[in-house]
Amino acid sequence: MEFKLEAHRIVSISLGKIYNSRVQRGGIKLHKNLLVSLVLRSARQVYLSDPCPGLYLAGPAGIPAPPPQQQPGEPAAGPPAGWGEPPPPAARASWPDTEPQPERPSVSHAPRVGDEVPVTTVTGVGDVLQGGEADATEAAWSRVERSRQAAAREAEGPAGGWGVFPEGSLAARRPCGCPLGGEDPPGTPATTPRTACCCAPRPAEDEPPAPPAVCPRKRGAAGVGGGPAGCPAPGSTPLKKPRRNLEQPPSGGEDDDAEEMETGNVANLISIFGSSFSGLLRKSPGGGREEEEGEESGPEAAEPGQICCDKPVLRDMNPWSTAIVAF
Amino acid sequence: MGRRDMADIISTVEFNHTGELLATGDKGGRVVIFQREPESKNAPHSQGEYDVYSTFQSHEPEFDYLKSLEIEEKINKIKWLPQQNAAHSLLSTNDKTIKLWKITERDKRPEGYNLKDEEGKLKDLSTVTSLQVPVLKPMDLMVEVSPRRIFANGHTYHINSISVNSDCETYMSADDLRINLWHLAITDRSFNIVDIKPANMEDLTEVITASEFHPHHCNLFVYSSSKGSLRLCDMRAAALCDKHSKLFEEPEDPSNRSFFSEIISSVSDVKFSHSGRYMLTRDYLTVKVWDLNMEARPIETYQVHDYLRSKLCSLYENDCIFDKFECAWNGSDSVIMTGAYNNFFRMFDRNTKRDVTLEASRESSKPRAVLKPRRVCVGGKRRRDDISVDSLDFTKKILHTAWHPAENIIAIAATNNLYIFQDKVNSDMH
Repeated sequence: MEFKLEAHRIVSISLGKIYNSRVQRGGIKLHKNLLVSLVLRSARQVYLSDPCPGLYLAGPAGIPAPPPQQQPGEPAAGPPAGWGEPPPPAARASWPDTEPQPERPSVSHAPRVGDEVPVTTVTGVGDVLQGGEADATEAAWSRVERSRQAAAREAEGPAGGWGVFPEGSLAARRPCGCPLGGEDPPGTPATTPRTACCCAPRPAEDEPPAPPAVCPRKRGAAGVGGGPAGCPAPGSTPLKKPRRNLEQPPSGGEDDDAEEMETGNVANLISIFGSSFSGLLRKSPGGGREEEEGEESGPEAAEPGQICCDKPVLRDMNPWSTAIVAF
Repeated sequence: MGRRDMADIISTVEFNHTGELLATGDKGGRVVIFQREPESKNAPHSQGEYDVYSTFQSHEPEFDYLKSLEIEEKINKIKWLPQQNAAHSLLSTNDKTIKLWKITERDKRPEGYNLKDEEGKLKDLSTVTSLQVPVLKPMDLMVEVSPRRIFANGHTYHINSISVNSDCETYMSADDLRINLWHLAITDRSFNIVDIKPANMEDLTEVITASEFHPHHCNLFVYSSSKGSLRLCDMRAAALCDKHSKLFEEPEDPSNRSFFSEIISSVSDVKFSHSGRYMLTRDYLTVKVWDLNMEARPIETYQVHDYLRSKLCSLYENDCIFDKFECAWNGSDSVIMTGAYNNFFRMFDRNTKRDVTLEASRESSKPRAVLKPRRVCVGGKRRRDDISVDSLDFTKKILHTAWHPAENIIAIAATNNLYIFQDKVNSDMH
């Protein structure tokens, strides 16, 4: 369990670093961001694979750890919270308290887990993000996912397992029940290159069922698996599986349920972070592209393509930690 | 720390090939050159000390309007050119632009012009009754610095190193993903010799962190990566040296695996030995000596501050884990040196296998004071002057050090102070 908390903390810190790097003088440092992204991936993978049954991270005040009995009622209520039960309705009301300051209005527009975010909001954000930025974000996150899977695949090699923490990897193997050793069948690469571990989130190529017109950004920002927070498509991607599904070893390595749930976890994380990014993108001058996690999109001439945001920067990462924890 | 204070932070230190001159670059884009005073009988106590020789602004902050990017003026590296005439030349670089500076001395000036008077005003021609030949009269030494070449627009990413080839005609510059070869006389063109940029940036897994030409073989160079590997490349093999001739890599110790394994294995500096037989690399916790003839693993590994291994998470939080320490050989390749935290720096004697930790501070640096070895205690018995790991000051870091090419003189950059230490007892290399 310490691993999970540690991993979570490291994820928060890493996101903060990536966020802050965008306003550093001299532009984004590719090397540092690459290293941070590697740490972020490692931590997130540990976080996602560490089972910790029954652990619900307590959110900020006002969002108590939801009791298990909420789950059955929730699925129809709205967007899923793959990381556990969505916060109870009371929590939604208190959600604005944990939002960042008004100087970041884009974030307050961000879809909130458990909220029925009006379509207009989402569309608005989606409209603002032109294809380029959406692609950038999507590409950035898909890169994260794919590389993570590539890294995980490599990790399956000689070491025979993900060795972040020896105990952690063993623990990760048991509950999801899928053998971590073992490559994807050769036939799958075109579709969904998954790691051998079914707990991996779905990669970016996997189009979510949400209609693109409604949530273009959602597809980009939460390219992994789907659907996501704030995009009202409740029936399409059942990402509301409770955490305890982790305990049930799914059959084979391709169990959709567990994978979707895991996808939901990551999707929520991504959508939070992605939405903030998109908001900042909108604010940035020149409509340039973001260099995220060391990745760049666009033609050679645009590289590295980052924008030095001259708007006041929210340095306090607590809202982000809170946002992540709340899920 | 305000912006003005930050401008004084030294960002690079480099002796020239004779050791007579020492150049430092700082975050404000300035270069300060020190010159060693010749030993004189008149002032025996100041023999061999370094005084300021010249100061000039090498780089200014720039703004790339196309990308809305500010380009820092911080001097990342300085490399001296071998001296070919009375003038000295050096290359200095920031993130994007390399400049060739020529440093000349003027200690005479002509006097006795026919058409100009002493102040330089034109004379009334009617007062000129005879012709005289101007003569050179001695004057106070004036050091003049002028930019002779500006090598711009060669790099998309941030330049991390430059290295002058032993042919004295070319040099290379490396950024995160590419290495370019320049001719010292040609500024509008450079050749790309290494390109590790993937077709899809999403596949990026490693970047170039440092590079250097071999000291004797003008066709060989090495570059280090963020994954901890070294690649030796031969420019005779192909125009584009993406395929290495040798790959130096040490398999990772699985018992040391953590979230931060990748960060701490990233090589921050690589230096060929003077002999050209070995390479020295620095990663976050160790320095390693590699034999060019053995790719499988380094021949020597020295722990710089292994007590930090359990503190990597905190060091990640406060960004210290990204600090890029440099390393240096002494002239005879028998001792290696690198910096650490708390203004400590470490020296490792490769022959005796003894190491020492010294501190660069004002208290320990009174003239002719002898540096006292320091010790970091990691629990257990603590001696009187030991420092505990928890009381180390991580804001005082020694990233840049340099060793005189022939003598036991070292230059240590501690934030915005430069310390020059001399080993008077063993002033000759052995």
